[in-house]
Amino acid sequence: MADVTEIKHRIRSIQDTHQITKAMELVSTAKMRKSIQKHKYSSAYFDSVRYTLKDILRHSTDVRHKYMEHRKDNRTAYIVIAGDKGLAGAYNSNVLNLAWEHMQTRPVHYVVTIGQMARAFFESKHQSVDLEFTHAVASPTLHDARGIMRDILDLYDSNLMDEVYVIFTRMHSTSVHEPVMVKLLPIEEKDIEADVKNTYGGQIDYDPSPKEVLNVLVPQYLVGMIYTALIHSSASEHASRMLAMSNATKNAEKILDTLSLEFNRLRQNAITTDLLDLSSGRFAAANKQTEGNART
Amino acid sequence: MGKFYLEIITPEKTFYKGEVESIQITTLDGTCMIMAEHQPMVFATVPGSLYITADGQRREAFMSEGFVEVRPDETIAFSEAVEWPEDINVRRAQEAKERAEEQLRRNRSAAEYRLNRLALQRAFARLQVKSHKNIGNF
Repeated sequence: MADVTEIKHRIRSIQDTHQITKAMELVSTAKMRKSIQKHKYSSAYFDSVRYTLKDILRHSTDVRHKYMEHRKDNRTAYIVIAGDKGLAGAYNSNVLNLAWEHMQTRPVHYVVTIGQMARAFFESKHQSVDLEFTHAVASPTLHDARGIMRDILDLYDSNLMDEVYVIFTRMHSTSVHEPVMVKLLPIEEKDIEADVKNTYGGQIDYDPSPKEVLNVLVPQYLVGMIYTALIHSSASEHASRMLAMSNATKNAEKILDTLSLEFNRLRQNAITTDLLDLSSGRFAAANKQTEGNART
Repeated sequence: MGKFYLEIITPEKTFYKGEVESIQITTLDGTCMIMAEHQPMVFATVPGSLYITADGQRREAFMSEGFVEVRPDETIAFSEAVEWPEDINVRRAQEAKERAEEQLRRNRSAAEYRLNRLALQRAFARLQVKSHKNIGNF
């Protein structure tokens, strides 16, 4: 049976861990709220960009844009978004495994990672990382998204790749998030997710022309896609971490319960033994005395 | 004068929401004024001034590239950045202008040229909006 001091030590260390996980849970909750808030503002904007883009593509047949043309090969670039830190349950491994599986189907591929964990994952698989961004996931800004898009378009323009996919974790609610893969380039009408219900179903004119409006929309659409992916990922990461940490806190509480029970039992045992020793010693002493008295 | 409902949205916030009499935007082809009962249309805008007239008051703001969607029920303007003159940072705009001019002189590629021209356009528009406000104050 374990020693009392040993158990005391374990209780102390688990209490410390419990404190840390509790704090991390609270921090993640706050960060997740912040990401969701950001998402709320930006989604109104980018949903409309998507909708308008889709509307133009649907109604005008003769629009051409260099980012809409199909290239005949399938050299693929993957933009993989994972967290900067671990301790977030299965969040990182889910999204990274999805990326890894899809990569095996393409002979030529480039890997662009966003987040430390993504880079570490591909390094461990001996997959070279062509481009990496490390600080964009902690709190994504439009500026980050613009920078990422510019670098990717540079590579795409110099004809190094034919398709670009973004792999990130989409957040449906605080407890439901799934890793998804979305095609970024070339832009196709069917890939554009636009669920905004337009109140006006009639024909809309474009000034000066659909093509010119399209030229304005396309860069915004791409920035929006990356920004949305970054925000979804960061919200999912914080939500996963929050769940993982709340589980850890609960576990710690459970262990603390059993340990303190064990500790109390041992302490009681020790007291009982002490008492027994004491009383039996006294009993023996008393016996001795009466014996001595009898002798004299 | 007839009124219509205007909403101006940026990725960070809703910049403006309310009934207005007219707005004047800077489109690719030049300045363009939208009043109530306008035909449904989408305009592409370039960085420039945005004038909002509401309750007889005309205010100027800076609007970056984006687009304006006119619908029968409301008009929505989308842009990556819309700012009132008092929110414009003159020093930042001035620095951006100098940076863009410097970059334009080097001019490495066509794509870079377009980006820099746009950056310069933004800086100019910001400075212009800011200076208009100062004139109004004197």
